Amino acid sequence: MQTGFFAPGSVTPKLCKRSDRLTTGGLCLYCVVIVNFGRVFTRKTATLTFAFLLTPSLIWAQSEDAPLFRADRINALVFLVVFSAAILLYTRWARQGKPLFLRKIAGLDAIEEAVGRATEMGRPVLYIPGLQELDEIETIAGVSILGRVARITAQYDTPLMVPVRYPLVLAASQEVVEQAYIEMGKKDSYDKDTVRYVAGEQWAFTATVNGYMMRERPATNIYMGAFFAESLLLAETGNAAGSIQIAGTARPEQLPFFIAACDYTLMGEELYAASAYLSREPVMTGGLKGQDFVKMVIVILVIIGVLLATFGAGDWYPQLFEAV
Amino acid sequence: MSFWQKMEQIDRRWIYLAVAVAVVVPFLFPTPLPISISPEARSLYDAVEALPDGCNVMVVYDYYPATVAECEPIAVAALHHLFRKNCKVVTLTNIPYGGPSMAERVTRRMAARYGKTYGVDYVNLGFKYGYVTVLAGMGQSIESIFPTDNSGTPLSQLPLMDSVKNYSDVSFIFEVADNATADYWVSIVNAQYGVPIGCGGTAVQAPKFYAYVASGQFVGLLGGMRGAAEYEKLIGIEDVATVGMQAQSMVHLLIIGLVVLGNIGYFVVRKQSKKGAA
Amino acid sequence: MRTTIPVIVAFIAGLLVVVSFFFRDGTIVGDVKQEFLVWSSIIGGFTLLLGVVSIVRVNMATVARKKTDWPYKILTLVAIFVMGIPALFPSSWSPLLGTASGTSVYDWLFEYMQKPMMSTMFAILAFYIASAAYRAFRARSAEATLLLITAILVMLYRVPMGEAFLNMFPGNISEILNKYIMNGVNMAVQRGIIIGAALGAASMSLRIILGIERTYLGKS
Repeated sequence: MQTGFFAPGSVTPKLCKRSDRLTTGGLCLYCVVIVNFGRVFTRKTATLTFAFLLTPSLIWAQSEDAPLFRADRINALVFLVVFSAAILLYTRWARQGKPLFLRKIAGLDAIEEAVGRATEMGRPVLYIPGLQELDEIETIAGVSILGRVARITAQYDTPLMVPVRYPLVLAASQEVVEQAYIEMGKKDSYDKDTVRYVAGEQWAFTATVNGYMMRERPATNIYMGAFFAESLLLAETGNAAGSIQIAGTARPEQLPFFIAACDYTLMGEELYAASAYLSREPVMTGGLKGQDFVKMVIVILVIIGVLLATFGAGDWYPQLFEAV
Repeated sequence: MSFWQKMEQIDRRWIYLAVAVAVVVPFLFPTPLPISISPEARSLYDAVEALPDGCNVMVVYDYYPATVAECEPIAVAALHHLFRKNCKVVTLTNIPYGGPSMAERVTRRMAARYGKTYGVDYVNLGFKYGYVTVLAGMGQSIESIFPTDNSGTPLSQLPLMDSVKNYSDVSFIFEVADNATADYWVSIVNAQYGVPIGCGGTAVQAPKFYAYVASGQFVGLLGGMRGAAEYEKLIGIEDVATVGMQAQSMVHLLIIGLVVLGNIGYFVVRKQSKKGAA
Repeated sequence: MRTTIPVIVAFIAGLLVVVSFFFRDGTIVGDVKQEFLVWSSIIGGFTLLLGVVSIVRVNMATVARKKTDWPYKILTLVAIFVMGIPALFPSSWSPLLGTASGTSVYDWLFEYMQKPMMSTMFAILAFYIASAAYRAFRARSAEATLLLITAILVMLYRVPMGEAFLNMFPGNISEILNKYIMNGVNMAVQRGIIIGAALGAASMSLRIILGIERTYLGKS
């Protein structure tokens, strides 16, 4: 398996080009500077000093026949810097106690009420953290929300059933639910079978969960994560079973099915916002506000583009955003 | 209980029975009707037609066996077109559940029809785990991600792969997908390597892909069985999709009828309730 | 240590892949991404194995303790072994072994059992969408009425019979629907949702790289 990282026939990284020697040396120097001079100067000062010294070296490396840095991707770098700065800045402000407004999301406000309904009816809550692997962002969001829901079910002693499709999601979900029960002081109420590995195949999973819904008739179904064609099967069966249903997914093609069959639906990024919304932790809400700032920037850029295109003066504008 | 109140609470199994009848009847009493070609399908056809004969093309089977009815006609129509133009086809899949089997079966069947030789005219790379890894990795080296083809033959022993090392050697990618991997083909392959991509997908996914067509990230789009039927018409072959459109027509009309009936019932019952309350 | 090491690994791996995007392929920094991708592909293969081990373990435990529906778990285990074990052996030993198309047990079971079962489950959607549409598409409000009318028009223009019906009216209604509904309103909305979801995913990724989000470790 040939890649460019290793020199042919060797296990050491190749260092034949000037740019390679430069970057390797630069990174080692950075580590040395940070470790040693961080004791004399602050790490911030050391980092800035290093960047100041490195910049002319990078410019020198660019003059090679094959330049080191991909200048054609500078627009992506600018966006990355703006995005990261916005997230980190708002997170910092949130940590400092600055109040950050979050609009109401009806579906999330309804979760506690829905779990309360299940408690009154003496029926379980069904929670599905999506049908994707743990490396998918939507699944991470779903498992994060599961933690919040598990706290509520622990508080009310409501049975909770969490069917999962992948072993890694099983492991993460079990830990999250167990921790939630421990934090609410209900460790004895925690049942290891709350989170169950059902099936690895999409339709086998759906058939099993549908069967569970028709037999156990959960009072509340919560679907948070990545869903595919089975979304309508799950939602419609849940409707037939008489459950109140709250769904959230970032897959636009599945939203119409959830909207048609569920009582509340979280659309797109509302799923990612859910964790921040429910916990109200400064770090999470700060990240959310940073995201909104970037979205506002995109909206302004779109409006500028529309105006330029309308007046026939914007041929150069789309080229600023071309990705190569 | 009035008729309309009964209709409001109708057992859904009657609806299921009506759908079943609507699907079966057109196969017993076929009524073929002309299919118009959408601009998106025309655009995809034109893009493939404009490819130089004999160029290297990637056909990606990113659909699960469940959506065979919608996606396989698209893949078949694409292979008809590509093999007619003597394009060299490299197939792969990012679907572990049956993807390699379907890619193998469909491609070999179509290749046999056009007298194509494995290893020279077409290769099936099979499946490798982690679609982001696969898509990003093939940009530099296909062989680093797929050291062998689906049947275990090293790529170095396949003459076609001598001229297909990475995306820069591929003129076009025909993606047939029923899931979000199409988004990654756009963001990783088209955005970073500039390879033109045409997409065929399920009808559920098609509305999302219009955004990619409008921005030029997809050169064209085939949405569901309708898209497959349009492509079949363009290449001059009436196959499964064209026949299937009759059943789809009946079911669509049935659903529209049910929706209209449901709304009439809703308003009548509401009026009756208001009268009763008054 | 159990939390710290994964967070450090996530930070280094995430940062290096992001940084290498901006460096040319063929340089040490530009190639580190490729190396990580190959490693990821190898490690990912093991998670598939983990899935098989996990399902066998869970089902065997259920059978051993004779929990609810334990006979069906035996069926699951039989299906796994009957389909999986012959596929592990090379097809050169016997045409029934391996995954060769048309001859192997694996291919036969997939083609004539699994594929029809999966297609059937997907086909059930047609029935469910009919009942969901009948129940949900009611003109309860102005927005719901707009949704209803748009849905009916799109359902009509996407099928030949519906198109033939629309062609009875003056003007090319199908073309208008395609241009203004599918390529106009629909496309704009889809773009908005895609952009929003992408920003949300990017924000979450940044939080994971920086160690702020640790849900993947089982910590909330």
